[in-house]
Amino acid sequence: MKNKFVNILVPLISVLLAFVIGCIVIAVLGANPFVALQALWTGAFGSMRNVGTTLARSTPLIFTGLCACFAYRCGVFNLGGEGQFIIGAVVCCFIATRSGLEGPLAIVLCLAAGALAGGLWAAVPGVLKIYRDQNEMIISIMLNYVATLFMGVVYTNWLRDGTVPQTAPVPDATKLSRLFGLRVTTAFILAIVVGLLIYYFLFYTSKGFQLRAVGLNMTAAQFNGFAVKRYILMSFIVSGAIAGLGGSADLMGTQYRLINGYASGYGFDGVAMALIGQLHPLATILVAIFFAVLRVGSTTMQAATGVPTSVSDIIQALVIVFTVAGLAMVKLPQFKAAVAKLSARKEAA
Amino acid sequence: MDSAFITNLILASVRMATPLIFLSLAELYSQRAGLVHIGLEGLAAIGSLVGFLVSLITGSPLLGVLAGAAVGILVNMIYAYATINLCAEQIVYGMAINIFAPALAAFIYRVYFGAGSELVQVGLMTTLSGLLGIASDNFLVRLLLDQTPMVYLAYGLVIFTAIYFNKTKSGLNYKAVGEYPKAAATLGISVVGVKYAASVICGALAGIGGAYLTTCYSTTYTDGNVAGRGFIALAAVIFGRWSAGGVLLACLFFGFCDALQIRLQVGSYGIPYQFFQMIPYIATVVVLTIIGMKKAGPKGVGKPYLREER
Amino acid sequence: MEEFLRMEHVSKRFGDFYANKDINLTVYKGEVLTLLGENGAGKSTLMNVLIGLYQPTEGSIYLNGKKVRIDSPAQAVRLGIGMVHQHFMLVEAMTVFENIILGDRNTKGVFIDREARKKEILELSAKYGLDVELDRPITEIAVGAQQRVEILKALYRGAELLVLDEPSAALTDIEVEGLFKIMRKLTEEGKSVIFISHKMREVLHISDRITILRAGEVVTTLRREETDGQALANLMIGRELAPSQYTKVEQAGEPVIQLKGVDFQKDSKHNGLSGVSLTVGRGEIVGIAGVDGNGQSQLAQVVTGVLTPDAGTVDMKGTRVAQFTPNGFILENVSHIPEDRNKMGLIGEMSVKDNIVLKTTETQAFSSAKGLVLKKKAIRDYALEMQEKYDIRCTSVEQEARNLSGGNQQKVILARELEGEPDLLVAVHPTRGLDIGATRFIHDTMIEARDRGCGVLLVSADFDEILEVSDRIVVMFEGQVMGVYSGKNPPIEEISLAMAGK
Repeated sequence: MKNKFVNILVPLISVLLAFVIGCIVIAVLGANPFVALQALWTGAFGSMRNVGTTLARSTPLIFTGLCACFAYRCGVFNLGGEGQFIIGAVVCCFIATRSGLEGPLAIVLCLAAGALAGGLWAAVPGVLKIYRDQNEMIISIMLNYVATLFMGVVYTNWLRDGTVPQTAPVPDATKLSRLFGLRVTTAFILAIVVGLLIYYFLFYTSKGFQLRAVGLNMTAAQFNGFAVKRYILMSFIVSGAIAGLGGSADLMGTQYRLINGYASGYGFDGVAMALIGQLHPLATILVAIFFAVLRVGSTTMQAATGVPTSVSDIIQALVIVFTVAGLAMVKLPQFKAAVAKLSARKEAA
Repeated sequence: MDSAFITNLILASVRMATPLIFLSLAELYSQRAGLVHIGLEGLAAIGSLVGFLVSLITGSPLLGVLAGAAVGILVNMIYAYATINLCAEQIVYGMAINIFAPALAAFIYRVYFGAGSELVQVGLMTTLSGLLGIASDNFLVRLLLDQTPMVYLAYGLVIFTAIYFNKTKSGLNYKAVGEYPKAAATLGISVVGVKYAASVICGALAGIGGAYLTTCYSTTYTDGNVAGRGFIALAAVIFGRWSAGGVLLACLFFGFCDALQIRLQVGSYGIPYQFFQMIPYIATVVVLTIIGMKKAGPKGVGKPYLREER
Repeated sequence: MEEFLRMEHVSKRFGDFYANKDINLTVYKGEVLTLLGENGAGKSTLMNVLIGLYQPTEGSIYLNGKKVRIDSPAQAVRLGIGMVHQHFMLVEAMTVFENIILGDRNTKGVFIDREARKKEILELSAKYGLDVELDRPITEIAVGAQQRVEILKALYRGAELLVLDEPSAALTDIEVEGLFKIMRKLTEEGKSVIFISHKMREVLHISDRITILRAGEVVTTLRREETDGQALANLMIGRELAPSQYTKVEQAGEPVIQLKGVDFQKDSKHNGLSGVSLTVGRGEIVGIAGVDGNGQSQLAQVVTGVLTPDAGTVDMKGTRVAQFTPNGFILENVSHIPEDRNKMGLIGEMSVKDNIVLKTTETQAFSSAKGLVLKKKAIRDYALEMQEKYDIRCTSVEQEARNLSGGNQQKVILARELEGEPDLLVAVHPTRGLDIGATRFIHDTMIEARDRGCGVLLVSADFDEILEVSDRIVVMFEGQVMGVYSGKNPPIEEISLAMAGK
């Protein structure tokens, strides 16, 4: 009980601290922090349209956040969410623009192919970890660069459309439908459903339970008869599939075409969100929406106050810096002792 | 393939290896004290930006490099405090640095230049031959003299590091902290002190590695210009078996891959240039896969150090 | 004789628990003083106080008659106290030479003057007969040589008093002889040695005086000539061994598990098995006695499928085991109380409830649709039932297992491992670190399981525990079975000798 409380409190305090520092920075830049914060809020939630944009913006982040969350639940660090996301989008782009298929069938096929591609892409670090005892972090990051470059080949050569280095948009018939006429599409719903499924899997099924056990204590899991290696590989593949699914959903939902800089930074954002959300899939979704709020709102803020949008990146980064340090701190024996002393004094009083 | 191709390739390899050498040495110093640091990419990013700005403002690339080192140390103190004092997981915190430092760099850049500014360029550090006023097409002259002082610094540091870890008492004590902190402590070596010293060195070298990119290599700063070198440096340390000499060879190899891809791009051969750009990254994966991991490296890496109480 | 060290009224308290209470101890120059005591008698704590790892709660320490404060291991070194830990403090990645000069403050200069240092070390090593190869890496030399490096390390730092913590535990007989020669040489040169051991024969062989510790207090100090093995053993244990309160089974049922000639890394004396043959039958407790690190861990992990033997056969209920996986053994109804409950037994960050059902979430009782739907209520109810039955003291079954006391953690494991009515229970140090109440509970539970027809393999370094519950006693030494004895009226002396490799 107490633990859960701390787990929520630490990120909240971190967010608060990050905002305080953010406000100081805004003030130093000569803007009024309260005006800026208000603009941020209006930008993100000021109208239904803005809410729609915020949710649309959160969609890819939810997918990469869940991707990082799932792998780390099994004790492995998948830093390759970005590459898996991109590969999913690339495969989706091929099918959507070249297969000639249209309608729901094409959409389902694209999503499935994206997930499959992402899963296979993530299987590489998984297999190397199991069979070569290899550092999964370095491998998955290297594959991010390879995936980004491969996407470059696709939009500058293979699927290039016209003079600008970009692909043609996916056909209208494979675009995901918008919700209530807003920017947000069914991709958002899909993201939430995936989050709920993962939540259910982790906490309400036997396999999910075992996967968490492997992630928390591999030795004990082995002694208790779980197939540790199989879980590690599976977690990589599923994690990659989530990202790949996200890539294809994002392409058909929001971006429509591959272009330079597509999905850049999504992978590490995902890791940050998963860590702040403490590997809880639903909390990760909330953090993703929070990140999206900062991003969408900061555009309005820039227009209103002239503070660059990247101040939102600083706030995000500070949240992760504080959260991780805070979570480590509350686990220190000295900290626990201090808390115990304090509560003892309270009781005595 | 003519001889010009090969000479240029060798010259470029040396140049491309230099930032990797700084970053790999940063990782080496950190890991030798038991701190695995996956946040070098971020440290290099902020070092790169600050190096660029200071060199732009002062007109002195050298001051830029020094400023890069200083900011690297500063940011790395966050990592040091969190991992040494708060016992935060090193990997997780390195990741936090990877998110924080580049965001900070991007922010400072936007604040300084405003949105939508045109490309600002800065002069690069003069090469030794430039300083000496020698101009020659001779391969050896170009290899040995046509380099910025940073290149000599990098190679000098490799030699220094090799001597430090193998020949000095202090270096021996340093290594003991990374291998078996408890044993080091029983011999009166300050474990926490060494870890902080390591973090200062690591921050400085990573900052310099980043600053190299904007003071000696490219005339401008762009987000993401570190391009994975911070992670390749991690691989180089593994590949180089945690020794200065090994790390140098690994960096030269990865530098060669980088140089090769640039040379091949120029040739193009009708293949999309991105495939060549993949070479360093794929080479990293292949090399790591071939050598395998086993249980090499300092044994105390990744574990928090706390003096035991019952 | 001149006094070197005196500890006066030294106590060390952890919370409410006195690990050392009012200890008085004197060490003279040129003598070997033995500290004799069972596991947990307070020997290690006392030595940790002496070398500055712990601060005494009360009392004072005098060196050469002068009161000293030892607040760090480095300070102890400066005062001339050197310790050879049971688990060597050697950096494996370095050479012998590097380990000896590590942390050196006696010499000036930045660089290591190899020639000069080597000369010094070789002089020392010649003086005390400490034969080492300076340029070999630590990993390449034998345990006995590593120990000589540790001694040399201490002498190089000017140690006048050497503490040797269980130095013979890891050595072969020949190496032990060598060690004794070195100890003699040291005392001849006026150095003092504190020797910690529970191998009676060695204690009687090498000691000048013997101080016996029991439950954190000094029982007495005797001169070597005044005593004999039996007297020491009685003093150490504090009573004539009381007969066990449990009835012993003399005729076991059909074999549950049968090992024949099992080898595992047989060249490793302390982490291997060499030609082990052993049977556990239904309804009996087989106790594996022996000093820690003589292959017991490996034996336990072979019979639970964690390790695969290099040679030999294992028959499970009459069927040859072909594949060694933990899951395979669990399916054969083998239960395991592993030696390290936090590392191997429990998922510390999961709740008590989750740890109780750790292995069984896929069963009909706790999930439906092949594990797709966990029956949370059934799990909770069951956990509550187990909490009651095994008397697990926790704030709720939702509490994280790592926050429980050791005894309660062990009960969580018992609840998980015993409820399935196993055919074989492998329990490794099941009561280590537990209080008397929890220990009794765990013994009762093992006896109950036995009476139900379960075969029990108990590994314990606590000889009392072995005597208390075992129906048969198997002694292991350096990976080999030294002998098998009846648990009813066991020949204690004979067993003690076997544990010491005789």
